[in-house]
Amino acid sequence: MNNVTQIVQKVRQAPWRVQRQWIGLFLVALVLMAMVAGLYLNVTVGATLAGRETISLQATITTNQRVNADSETQLAGLTSVEAMQQRAETMGFQPASPDDITYVAVAGYVPQSAVDRSTPGTNAPAVPIILPEYTESWFDYFMNQQASSASAGGQP
Amino acid sequence: MKQRLHTWRYLSTAFLLAVLGIAILVQIVRIQNSPEVASVIDQGNYVWKDYYPPRGEIYDRHGSLLAGNKTVYEIGLDLTVNPDMPTVMLALQMSGLDLDEVNYRISLAPVNAQYIILDDFVSTDKAKQLMTLQEAAYGDPTGKNLDAIYFKAHYARSYPENDLASNVLGFVTEDNHGYLGIEEKYDNILAGIPVRMLVPADPRRATEYPTIPPGQTIILTIDREIQAAIEKILDQALVSTNASSGTIVVMDPRSGEILAMSSTPRLNLNDYQKITTVFPGETPFNRAISQAYEPGSVSKILTMAGALDSGAVKPDTVFFDEGYILVGGFRIVNWDGGAWGYQDMTGCLANSLNVCLAWVSSKMESESFYSYMQRFGLGHATGIDLAQETSGRLKIPGDGDWRPVELGTNAFGQGVSVTPIQMVVAASALANDGKMVYPHVLYAQIQDGKQSNTRTQIVGTPISANTAHTISEMLANALETESSAALVPGYRIAGKTGTAQIPLAGGGYDENDINASFIGWGPVNDPRFIVYVWLEKPQSNRAASVVAAPIFKQVVEKLVVLMDVPPDAVRLQMIGR
Repeated sequence: MNNVTQIVQKVRQAPWRVQRQWIGLFLVALVLMAMVAGLYLNVTVGATLAGRETISLQATITTNQRVNADSETQLAGLTSVEAMQQRAETMGFQPASPDDITYVAVAGYVPQSAVDRSTPGTNAPAVPIILPEYTESWFDYFMNQQASSASAGGQP
Repeated sequence: MKQRLHTWRYLSTAFLLAVLGIAILVQIVRIQNSPEVASVIDQGNYVWKDYYPPRGEIYDRHGSLLAGNKTVYEIGLDLTVNPDMPTVMLALQMSGLDLDEVNYRISLAPVNAQYIILDDFVSTDKAKQLMTLQEAAYGDPTGKNLDAIYFKAHYARSYPENDLASNVLGFVTEDNHGYLGIEEKYDNILAGIPVRMLVPADPRRATEYPTIPPGQTIILTIDREIQAAIEKILDQALVSTNASSGTIVVMDPRSGEILAMSSTPRLNLNDYQKITTVFPGETPFNRAISQAYEPGSVSKILTMAGALDSGAVKPDTVFFDEGYILVGGFRIVNWDGGAWGYQDMTGCLANSLNVCLAWVSSKMESESFYSYMQRFGLGHATGIDLAQETSGRLKIPGDGDWRPVELGTNAFGQGVSVTPIQMVVAASALANDGKMVYPHVLYAQIQDGKQSNTRTQIVGTPISANTAHTISEMLANALETESSAALVPGYRIAGKTGTAQIPLAGGGYDENDINASFIGWGPVNDPRFIVYVWLEKPQSNRAASVVAAPIFKQVVEKLVVLMDVPPDAVRLQMIGR
């Protein structure tokens, strides 16, 4: 029994073992710090790149919006009343008078109504939705899962 | 000895690893805080940024663009790089820029200016030309490059239809403010406000960049095809009658939607700087809402409607016209000075007898008569959504300048001033079962992709539905009796001419000139449109039945085609199926 105790004491008290333990601990801490710093640098670089891309995309969107506005205005000019009337006359058409028109009853015909310029699918909000997977915590996730399973179970 | 060796090795290894680890950490921290990275991400810096949100577009009721946006450029010069001015000026000249304007702007620049704006609202064509020159001169070894020139693109208003509906639209100046018409009335929702603000230069904070909302797009009740048609008719009418000005308004009497509105002169809105030339002096921009005048006989329809509604007369009430009537001690005579003998109320309207209508208003008595005129909205602005509407004037008993004779003269449209839009709104009660509608030009506005339409508003019910039907029938019969030039074959129309003397500033009336008007609506049993025609001082003839009624007919002939209104017989046949 004494021999065993002595061996344990020798191993524990060996200076090189104690030093190795401290060095190991120090290195682990150092590696952890390096990992955190590296991760931080990586995230920073990612955020910077994403920011640059965002700015670039915003500039592209602005340019595209201007091009669209230009195109729409040019198109409106090309299809203006005056331009269309000139084209129609060139093609041999002439304005209709009431006498030129024959009215025919067509079942289900819906008369022309004013324009509706609502954007299709406008029930969606103007800003993009960030999925909950990117924002909720584990606790939120489990609470939501629990709530959804409870409500599903409550259905008759 | 062996143990010492172990210790030394461990310590050495640990030291090396520690140095390596610390070096990595230091390097990471150094990179993040290095001037190179700081210059890339502009950490902590803020920059001024200009945002030019587009102004909301304006469409007609069928989606045709009436007012849009186009790209123009601000051209500036960076003085800190010591630009070669002769080269710059030559390039500007070659690109077609106005050098006088450029020199003027340079002369205004402060002595220590670092950046000056050489020109603004430069067209895309000219700017592209200058960009090409800049590209060609890039890196010129002699230093004669154009690198100091900067281009800043932004929006400017553009009107693809030029002067179409210009009286309704108004215009936008270079400072992005709307003037007159729709552009002024809805300036606050159309204008996307340009913003210059400090934003973080750090791209990691790109999410903090503001989102400047664009101006709202709006849709008008105007139908550009009808608008173009009435403008063409109006222009031709001015030539054929040699009138000094003209106005035509077309409204849906059921909803108050203005389908077309035009008055002369008109302005090419892309060239709005010429407004003072096109509209000299006090010329109203839109006579339909901004010029009040004595309407004359067209207002007899309101007098008769009030009299029928109050029970003062009935359609078959007979009046003996002696050729004059005394009201308030003054003698009132007919337009021709003649006596028309026995007339029922339809005859009074058909022959436009002043004496009869003065008798009718006298029979109503002043309290009832003026009560009806006020209920028809006379003397009050209609509230139409266009800038610069005037209200006209209806003098009533109790006003300092009201005289008893005006009970008689007001009955046939003298001594009272109205705008065309007031008459249209008042007459809408006659065409719309007694209900008077709020006139409007805004059909809908679009926000976040959702369209909200303007709802029909009833602003009053001055007469009963029964009275409205009765007066419409009387007016339709009157037109048919007199074989009016306003009649359109196949369509039953109700309407009334108005030949009004023009009051002089010093009192009395102009002996030479008149105002010729016509107001009418149809089809009588299902009105789809109400049309008002006004010609100021026509020279070809002094009778509205000759100059204004045919114009009304031309307008209606266009309307029934463009609005798909079948002839009465066909329509009733379709309803019967």
